[in-house]
Amino acid sequence: MSLHISAAPVLEPRTLAEALDLRASHPEAMPLAGGTDVMVYLEGGVIDPPRFLNLWGIAELGGLSRTGDALRIGALVTHTDVVRSPDAQALAPALVEACRTVGAVQIQNRGTIGGNVVNASPAGDTLPVLLALDAEFELHSAARGQRRVPAAQFWQGYRRMDLAPDELLVAVHVPAPSPGDRTFFRKVGTRQAQSISKVVLGARVRLDAATGTVTEARIAYGSVAATPVRCPATEAALIGRRRGDLAAAADTVATEIRPIDDVRSTAEYRLAVAVRVLRGWLAAV
Amino acid sequence: MRTPTPHALLSLTVNGDRHVVAAAPHHSLLEVLRYDLGLTGTKQGCDKGDCGACTVLIDGEPVLACCTLAATVRPGAQITTIEGLAGPAGRLDPVQEAFDRCGALQCGFCQPGMMLSARALLNRDAAPSDTAIREALGGNLCRCTGYTQIFEAVKLAAALARGESGASIDPTPPAEGYTVLGARHRKADGHGKATGAAVYTDDFNPPRMLHAKILRSPHAHARIVRIDTSRAAALPGVFAVLTGEALPRTYGVIPWTEDETALAIDRVRFVGEEVAAVAAVDEETANAALRLIDVEYEPLPPVLTPEAALAPGAPELFPGRRGGNLTKHVRLDFGDVDAALSNADALVEGEYFFEGTAHAPIEPHCAIAEYDARGLLTLHSATQIPHYVHRTLAKTLDLPSERVRVVQPALGGAFGGKSDPFGHEIVAAKLAMMTGRPVKILLTREETFYTHRGRHPMQMHMRLAANAEGRLTGLDSKILIDGGAYSSFGLVTSYYSGQLLTAPTGFETYRFDASRAFTNKPPCGPKRGHGSVQPRFAFEIQLDKMAEKLGLDPIELRRRNDVGPDTTTVNGQRITSNGFLECLRVVEQASGWRERRGKLGFGRGLGVAGSCYISGTAYPVYPNEMPQSGVQVRLDRSGRAHVMCGASDIGQGSDSMLAYIVAEELGLRPDDIRVTSSDTDLSPVDLGAYSSRVTFMAGNACREAASALSTLVREAVASKLEVPGREVACTPGRWFWLGDPTRGMDTREAFVLAEAAHGTLGATGGYRTDKTLGGPYRGGTIGASPAYSFTAHVAEVAVDVETGFVNVKKIWAAHDCGFALNPMIVEGQIAGSVYMGWAEAVMEEHAFAYGGPNPGLLRGPNLLDYRIPTTVEAPEIECHIVQSIDPNGPYGAKEAGEGPLHPVLPAIANAIYDAVGVRLDRLPFHPWRVREALRAAGRMGGR
Repeated sequence: MSLHISAAPVLEPRTLAEALDLRASHPEAMPLAGGTDVMVYLEGGVIDPPRFLNLWGIAELGGLSRTGDALRIGALVTHTDVVRSPDAQALAPALVEACRTVGAVQIQNRGTIGGNVVNASPAGDTLPVLLALDAEFELHSAARGQRRVPAAQFWQGYRRMDLAPDELLVAVHVPAPSPGDRTFFRKVGTRQAQSISKVVLGARVRLDAATGTVTEARIAYGSVAATPVRCPATEAALIGRRRGDLAAAADTVATEIRPIDDVRSTAEYRLAVAVRVLRGWLAAV
Repeated sequence: MRTPTPHALLSLTVNGDRHVVAAAPHHSLLEVLRYDLGLTGTKQGCDKGDCGACTVLIDGEPVLACCTLAATVRPGAQITTIEGLAGPAGRLDPVQEAFDRCGALQCGFCQPGMMLSARALLNRDAAPSDTAIREALGGNLCRCTGYTQIFEAVKLAAALARGESGASIDPTPPAEGYTVLGARHRKADGHGKATGAAVYTDDFNPPRMLHAKILRSPHAHARIVRIDTSRAAALPGVFAVLTGEALPRTYGVIPWTEDETALAIDRVRFVGEEVAAVAAVDEETANAALRLIDVEYEPLPPVLTPEAALAPGAPELFPGRRGGNLTKHVRLDFGDVDAALSNADALVEGEYFFEGTAHAPIEPHCAIAEYDARGLLTLHSATQIPHYVHRTLAKTLDLPSERVRVVQPALGGAFGGKSDPFGHEIVAAKLAMMTGRPVKILLTREETFYTHRGRHPMQMHMRLAANAEGRLTGLDSKILIDGGAYSSFGLVTSYYSGQLLTAPTGFETYRFDASRAFTNKPPCGPKRGHGSVQPRFAFEIQLDKMAEKLGLDPIELRRRNDVGPDTTTVNGQRITSNGFLECLRVVEQASGWRERRGKLGFGRGLGVAGSCYISGTAYPVYPNEMPQSGVQVRLDRSGRAHVMCGASDIGQGSDSMLAYIVAEELGLRPDDIRVTSSDTDLSPVDLGAYSSRVTFMAGNACREAASALSTLVREAVASKLEVPGREVACTPGRWFWLGDPTRGMDTREAFVLAEAAHGTLGATGGYRTDKTLGGPYRGGTIGASPAYSFTAHVAEVAVDVETGFVNVKKIWAAHDCGFALNPMIVEGQIAGSVYMGWAEAVMEEHAFAYGGPNPGLLRGPNLLDYRIPTTVEAPEIECHIVQSIDPNGPYGAKEAGEGPLHPVLPAIANAIYDAVGVRLDRLPFHPWRVREALRAAGRMGGR
């Protein structure tokens, strides 16, 4: 077993307050939760942190609960926790579906929602759904207390995000759906488990109960750009369309995403599948 | 030494035992379990969280030990490893019992993790659905089984746990006329693999051991101007640094093409080639030392395709070599092909491409060398051919053969990828000789992809002629083979690409012209179905096209041209038993071919293909007059037999095969037999696990030895019972008189009588091939085999026109293995072959960068991007065994481990044509490629 790092002592905060203090005083320490991404980077020599900030087990970072009209998902909540949560199943079924496709059972048992968000992979399976559901991220720092950032503003570039060096992601807030909301998740992966996505889609449309027209739309993709992205033109094209007449709006996606060729797929295939998967869902809404 | 890493004290509860471990704080749970606690049942397969071999349970939930920082495991958390799965007093968990009984333990390397995932599932769900089983095991990759027997095992475990009547782990009855053979028995090595006790190479850690790492080339093609190792050698903790000059002798598995050195000398020929090595106190120090080695390269233009390699003026990989970049050219003509082509009533011409693929066994390569003061070198290695490693070590290290011992411990999958003698084996040995200490080299998953020896990419052009009656009159085949940087088995590959195509579907005239070229890529070699899977893909699609052209059913076309038994093929290969027509009949019926083909609607379809394969080669890779396989059996008064053979059990069950034969002949239960195999000091020579030779050759050798002993025991029993020897028989546990079966004795007493009468009981057996086999022409011996297996498959696919995704719904596989010594193991070989061929058809690809900043760079050398299939997508596989009883096979047996791979790919291609009307002549069938084909054919609307 090879490890291309020097000794990396582990900082072991017991509370969120301690963790935030250590985050501020040791910005070089890499925060570590389930470790399913960090350990792979470490083994591959991609990162070489002098130390870790071990967050696993801090109670304030855990917990999945329904508070008022929203779901609060602690940053340390695992994908398995989401899959098994009746609240998540009721309020965010698309997120539950996304969590079921992350890696396989072993990764789902250890990997966390917070880790998926701050690992900021363009292929992160849950991220397009968080965009589609208008999730907000609760960030804390010792110096400035807490703030909330909408998912749509969080990822700014390839693995760059609106997260200060002294901040930690504490929770993800997902608003409860409105009665007219329809949501969707689809991952087209390289295989059926232990898979990296070629294209991942999270989508939501809100239909007016009386007229069946779209009043709000969120179309978000992963694996088609340097970050998970929303498609504002497609969303705009959906507004005012009537149920049964939505599918054509999917073509707009081709004007606003520019996927690339790589070992997992071709640009042409990604774009074609991105459009077709969305069109298929919109036709069935 | 480097500054010692400050260790943290961890408190871990593992299998109920509380441990306090002083571990480096950045160590994973996998490292702590394996290295600090010695719990080596938890395996390391990929280093990166992709394979699941390191799965353990934490508080009952499966997690990946390699991705879990040991320091983050909560004190008090209950960790369960495979060693803790059995209950009190070692009573096996139903999951372990069922995996053993169902044949789910082939190489056994992925199974500790798999069994723990299964246990966690059954804890939550006592009667899981098929879907639930597939999802629960989706993170555990297995390369041997095709998952079929694993699914059966999980269901059986659930039934056993529920106490269902009918759920049993007992063997089934034997075949008629036998007492052991033909029964579904556990495997001889099943218990060790079920419990995690089986010792694989990396599980072995002799005292004072050093760890070695290898520096590899970043260039596809470059001259080595200078190597400066002085800074590396000066690093504290480094014991030795090695470069190519110290190992100047070239070697190679084929004696005529010895073009490799253990470390590159003067020139590197592919990205990842071995350049220098370091032995140090630990892997981290060795890696640090590698970074201190200064290598000055002069980059040279790489050649990355065989077309480029053979173009005039192409840069040469071996300057001055006769033949330049052409490794081997073979052209053979049988009859007047040109006349057949010009007189044909129907002609089908096609161009096909088979992409390279990797073996990807879950166990990476590993070797441990020890060298003692007497000059005795011992190498433990994850090899499937200890004998050739033995010869190569003696040669490259200038050691007398009798000073070299090679041992193959339990092996975690091979599939041909562990057939060559490898540079890292020689390097480990040399470093042990330099330092006087044991030296281990464990390759990372990435390094296994550079070591490669995988399936050769082939560009194939075929013209097939037939007359109006549907008789095939001629085949003209031209093949261009991408060999990678060295010869490896390439000489044989070049011949096999033509020589193994002439049955079961025959043709009257034949020409093949094959050229293998060197390219600046990792060397290709033998992968399951060596050399013949690629042309079989092309030929069986040609047959499908021909059937359409002639208006014949594809099965009927194959029937009309079946070569039959007891015949000689157009290229002079002798066929004895041949069950191909029965294979066709079985899959035709089982798949509902007549009622369903062409009638499933757009998007669904059926396809058929057939093949044959060798049961070993008549001629060994180095010419000699000695037996190809030797077996020694000894019995003693305890009622036990010990069988020794050089054959390599690589998960395919050869140890079990030996045990069953000894048990059959000597009135023993398979459990009464101890097997010592693949240790060049302890076992007679067998040439190893390749060319599907082991059952046929070692089986015959074993039968000879066991029969000789059986005669002695029979005589002693007959004498005691005062009956004629021919009236004495045995059954497991007992010898008796056929005239009155109540008159007899237990086997232990029979052995006591025999030992008293004849002295110490031992016998040897050997298998020699018939050297008259093969055609009377240069190259006519290559492809000559004492017997051929036959196979027919039908595949059913559903093609998603939206995404281009090919969903293989089911494969019906019928294989003529002569006689099934243990049907469970034969079915495991069939299903594993089917899985591997299906994976090559739809997913796997050894992909390179052909341009850009790093030409020749392997793309995605890991088990995430080199996609081997999971449980979730595995198709349903229905295995049918056909028994043609070969006159020369042991009890009629022939091979089963490679033949059943061949028809899978063309059967899927033909099914896709039936489903959507497009021909896919290029592998693999990526969704984007399928979409392109559909669009080109105008079979999809819009984007």
